[in-house]
Amino acid sequence: MLMPAIVWFIIFLYKPMYGLQIAFKDYSIFRGVADSPWTGFEHFETLFSNDQFIRAFWNTIKISALNLLFGFPAPIILALMFNEVINATYKKTAQTIVYLPHFISSVIIAGIVITAFSPSVGIVNTVLGWLGIDPIYFLTKPEWFRPIFVGTGIWQEAGFGSIVFLAAIAGVNPSLYESAVVDGASRWQMMWRITIPSILPTIIIMLIIRIGNVMEVSFELIILLYQPATYETADVVNTFVYRQGLQSGRYDFAAAAGLFNAVVAFVLVMVANTLSRRYSRTSLW
Amino acid sequence: MSSVTLSGVEKYYGELRVVHGINLIIELQEFVVLVGPSGCGKSTTLRMIAGLEEISEGTINIENRVVNRVAPKDRDVAMVFQNYALYPHLKVFENIAFGLRIRKEPKEHIEKTVREVSEILGLTPYLDRRPAELSGGQRQRVAMGRAIVRHPKVFLFDEPLSNLDAKLRTQMRAEIKRLHNRLGVTSVYVTHDQVEAMTLADRIVVMNDGIIEQVGTPMELFNNPANMFVAGFIGSPPMNQLDGVITTSATGLHATVGDTSIALPALDNVKAGQAVVVGIRPEHISMSSVDGLSPVPISLDLVEPLGSEALLHATVNGQALIIKAETHGEISHLHQVAEIYAPVDLIKVFDAETGKVLNSAARQS
Repeated sequence: MLMPAIVWFIIFLYKPMYGLQIAFKDYSIFRGVADSPWTGFEHFETLFSNDQFIRAFWNTIKISALNLLFGFPAPIILALMFNEVINATYKKTAQTIVYLPHFISSVIIAGIVITAFSPSVGIVNTVLGWLGIDPIYFLTKPEWFRPIFVGTGIWQEAGFGSIVFLAAIAGVNPSLYESAVVDGASRWQMMWRITIPSILPTIIIMLIIRIGNVMEVSFELIILLYQPATYETADVVNTFVYRQGLQSGRYDFAAAAGLFNAVVAFVLVMVANTLSRRYSRTSLW
Repeated sequence: MSSVTLSGVEKYYGELRVVHGINLIIELQEFVVLVGPSGCGKSTTLRMIAGLEEISEGTINIENRVVNRVAPKDRDVAMVFQNYALYPHLKVFENIAFGLRIRKEPKEHIEKTVREVSEILGLTPYLDRRPAELSGGQRQRVAMGRAIVRHPKVFLFDEPLSNLDAKLRTQMRAEIKRLHNRLGVTSVYVTHDQVEAMTLADRIVVMNDGIIEQVGTPMELFNNPANMFVAGFIGSPPMNQLDGVITTSATGLHATVGDTSIALPALDNVKAGQAVVVGIRPEHISMSSVDGLSPVPISLDLVEPLGSEALLHATVNGQALIIKAETHGEISHLHQVAEIYAPVDLIKVFDAETGKVLNSAARQS
């Protein structure tokens, strides 16, 4: 049963690690990975003196921080809300509706977002128009990129992400609630004093995993939504790597940027895991 | 003065009736045990008293107040659950204090009450521990502590000892009994273990298939079971039940079990040829001759030594029979047993059709 996953890891994660060495080489596709000459940390020095990379790095951090701040609690809140719904039919229907966006391709999602925020036919500007507000060119204004991107991410993934927390809630011993009911607890008190503390280990594990992916903001959606006018707030390390590596052919430089990204993510997940183990006795390993 | 009164209480799950019109009066400070096999409706009845299950029909009174529509928190009951229901993220102190904090009691009162109760239950050294760091017995004490701090009118226990090992169960049983004697709070206790019921209860309520089979003190139920179900449920091992047919002779009434005749006590409500079940407790069977009694031949199958006593598994004309015998430190003589004597005055006779006892005025609910 494990074989497909192991093969996937080997082909797409472990084997490409061999190519990481080009971050320390003057890579030529004609010489190949092994025969290209070593250059030490030259690409990293260039990277850290590159304004575009510095900007992309901070954009990644800011978008990830917003994602963490708003995107991480969203599925938890949704799961807690679903848990309070008594009518089973209503609950199932609502769950299906919020799970759906997860299964839609990023290209379609981007198309929906572009249409929704269109200054001429978009629903958002139409509503603003009813309120007497002039159309806003949301997708060309840097200050609107991050809220739109983070909001889209929440709409797409909060529902599906809530499944993990719903499963955790389902695992809470029902007699804890019954005991609390006899003691006089309200639903609100039960949520704060029983449900949330009981699913806290799951929340922490998911948070550690999420922190490990902080540097991996949704690359496709950014590529599909950003444009030179919004690079100022939208360009992230992954899109920078894509432009440098694939569009400009600077594979070694792009590999250095990608490696730096991975090292930062690795450090973050190590720190989060250590802190979690120390303070909450819950950790990934 | 009655503490809890159930009048015609019924419970339906859809079309399925699981509790069939129960009537029961529980006196103030009484310890009542609901006992019966799985699915007999005892836990459902307890949960209806707690308010965790709606009552389909009938009324429940707690200290002269109908509580059918009263929320669990306002019934002034406290419940101890089978799996303890301790909050794993809270320390022992906070677990015990939970109900008081929910009710927004003053901090000083909470501190004082929790410490007092912890002292009673021997939990003071463990107040800073989490449930996972406690043994099964300690966890159960914490669960009881949480119920006690509320000073409720009624304690409800839902099989609180079933997760403990046999030794700890015996220990905790004694603790619960001592606690009840000390606090004197009306208690309703659910268990499927008749030993627990016998040792704890002031009165036992035997339930089966959603009805009450018999209510009485432990010794009333043991000595005068109202029917075959109670006879087969109370006692360890339970009462032997042999199918037979009534015969009459010059020497009196007998039951013919296969080709064996067993003398019966005088009965005026039976007739020759009537199918009956002869009940005799394993400890009442004698292996030495009794004046005026004919021996009953048995076929011995197995001897189970228990120390001071032994259980002899045998058959009478193919029907299973268990005999409890004293060993006096030796069991070799028990392997030779080939006949037994059933003292007439200790025999119970049941109607084979209705299952009801024919020779006792056992108290019924």
